[in-house]
Amino acid sequence: MNFISRFFFVLKEGFLQIFRTRGLSTAVIVIVAATLIQLSLFLGISRVLDHALGSAREKFEMALFFTPSADASDRKRVQDLLNADLRVASVKVVTKEAALEEFRKDPEIDRMLQALGENPLTDSFSVMLRKESSENLDDLVEKLKSDPKIEEVSYGKSEWEAVSNITRVVRWVGFFLGGFVFLTALFIVSNTLSIALWARREDLVLLSRMGAPTWMRWGPYLWEGVFQGFLGALMVVVFLEAVRHGAVVALKNYGGLDVILALPSSEWWSLYMTLVLLGMILGSLGAFLALQKKWVKELQ
Amino acid sequence: MMIQAFHLTKVHSSGVKVLDDAYFSAEEGSFVAIIGESRTGKSTLLKMLGGEEKPTSGVLRVDHLDIYNLKSAEKHKWLCDVGMIFPDLKLFPDKTVQENIEFILQVKGAANEDQGEAIAKLLSRAGLGSKAQSKPKDLSSGEQRMVLALRAMIFRPRLLLADDPFQGLDEKAASVLFKFLLELNKAGSTVVLSTQQMSFWGEAKRMAGEASILWVKLEHGKIHPLEEKTGSAE
Repeated sequence: MNFISRFFFVLKEGFLQIFRTRGLSTAVIVIVAATLIQLSLFLGISRVLDHALGSAREKFEMALFFTPSADASDRKRVQDLLNADLRVASVKVVTKEAALEEFRKDPEIDRMLQALGENPLTDSFSVMLRKESSENLDDLVEKLKSDPKIEEVSYGKSEWEAVSNITRVVRWVGFFLGGFVFLTALFIVSNTLSIALWARREDLVLLSRMGAPTWMRWGPYLWEGVFQGFLGALMVVVFLEAVRHGAVVALKNYGGLDVILALPSSEWWSLYMTLVLLGMILGSLGAFLALQKKWVKELQ
Repeated sequence: MMIQAFHLTKVHSSGVKVLDDAYFSAEEGSFVAIIGESRTGKSTLLKMLGGEEKPTSGVLRVDHLDIYNLKSAEKHKWLCDVGMIFPDLKLFPDKTVQENIEFILQVKGAANEDQGEAIAKLLSRAGLGSKAQSKPKDLSSGEQRMVLALRAMIFRPRLLLADDPFQGLDEKAASVLFKFLLELNKAGSTVVLSTQQMSFWGEAKRMAGEASILWVKLEHGKIHPLEEKTGSAE
């Protein structure tokens, strides 16, 4: 029997087995779906935070203030230094006059500046950084700080580090809780599939006594697990998609809170694909573990 | 397949010794009929030859192989050449008669495009032409046993082990089945069958005609030749 014939044989027998034990198949699908709903919470939160961190990094910039004694040649020297650095996306010169104009837009600050009489600001650079380099800037910052013509280097390292730490903590907590949920579900799925195997133990013995090779005895059961996992995941994907659409509409009425669900479509599809994959892994692993049970091996 | 067994002993877990230092051999392509009373160990012997009951002691070689020391994959490969008609080898209840027979062809790696026609022809000869699409529960016990026998023969095994295959069959069905066994043997298969129906002996001798059958009797754990081979071949 060639590979294609074997493949179709396994598919056919697997499908038939699902229908023969409808009750148990439904139980496995529901367990997989319940597990994936819980896992989708961890994965979803992690992705939303990742997205928030990514957005923060995209807006990540460094402000660089010169001393009052800095002249055009100093600015040119520092600008050349920054432009030569691969971590820098762009450098925008902000003269003290332009900065003053910007500050004066706020009437409160404008009143204070008028009271001072002269422009207290200095020339500065607004440095846009590449987001992938945001974690590795310490040497550049140190170099700039040591320049006598530079008064202050300011960038939001602490802010994004805080977001990054929260993301890391959420990811680890999610990983452990998700792992626990997954292992618990795996235990339940494999035991439920064991019951299905027990119901069909005579067929298994018969196949073995006929001389059916391992792929023929195991293949349909593994495929059954994969398909049940797929169906469970499909249910969750449909449910999540419906909830997402409903939530976006509902949250719009509450001050633009829909932003928390405003992940790009690709992120959602990636989440759905991950859930489908996890469902299929859960089903197939459950079936595999059921086939590894001592009494099942003794039957064969 | 050639079978050679020496000093074969089998003691069941209950302590009952069903085979006691028995000798048994069958040449490649031979037909051996084992006759014995009920509970004399015929089924145990056939299961031993089929790799299902390990002897307590002794030497057993089937096709020159020590079948109880084969690796799993080798054992399954070897089993692909063995057909068994055992009372406890049931039909798959969810498959039709045709599907049950097709299934064994897939298991044995003998499936082909013409199998539908071959199965229909075989069923028709066995008087089960109209039952191809029936499920086992819709068949009489005799019909089920006939399908079990056809399932074991359809892939032309090199060794056929038939444990009391005529039990539950009417006279006509039994003679049809015996003809099938003779045809299989004529095509080169080694056939070992057991029966407790002594009456079958005379009828079988008449039907065997030219075919050569070695008759042996299993009694008190020993295997004795019953008489000279029937038939005129060899």
